[in-house]
Amino acid sequence: MKLPKYKLSADHSLTVYEFVSEGPKGKIIKIVQYSETNLKDFFNLGFGDKDIVTGAINDTVITNNDDSQKVLATVAATVYAFTNKNPNSWIYATGSTKSRTRLYRMGITNNLIEIMQDFEVYGLRDDQWEEFKIKVEYEAFLIKRK
Amino acid sequence: MNIKDLNKSKLPIVKIDNNLDKYIGKVLFKKKLEQANKILKTVGLPKPHST
Repeated sequence: MKLPKYKLSADHSLTVYEFVSEGPKGKIIKIVQYSETNLKDFFNLGFGDKDIVTGAINDTVITNNDDSQKVLATVAATVYAFTNKNPNSWIYATGSTKSRTRLYRMGITNNLIEIMQDFEVYGLRDDQWEEFKIKVEYEAFLIKRK
Repeated sequence: MNIKDLNKSKLPIVKIDNNLDKYIGKVLFKKKLEQANKILKTVGLPKPHST
């Protein structure tokens, strides 16, 4: 996505990424983790805030740091980095709340042409996966590098 | 690769931070992972793209 992004740091395995959101609420550390599911090559995308003092991670907090597009573009950048290292992996993603899942859907919709050049994208609706379509509400998403 | 190429690249520049290695092998979003496993088990996998 050709949108402004934050600088990314990662661990050596490129499964955990960290960046700092900057806005009216100050600096907030964001963390993204790709965890392998029970299915080989299927990874869950986890995303949340890290408490700067305790190090505790929270994926339900609503930050409102006025940078949701930049944050989303940065999370999308981690998908590129992760799938570049693990080209056969599938990424499962869903928001911790309905509104966050909707934000993911809007992020995909707004950049669908570009995303479709590089990824297969599926949405989960009524307990079935279908090819991602705009204006359809999904419960979760599956993404795979083409 | 020059700056122009870097800006065009979809692949981000990622700085390796040794401090993040403490998370290797740990599940930070346990509930989400459990949900993902449940969905993948019950719903299964998508059919391949027709195009």
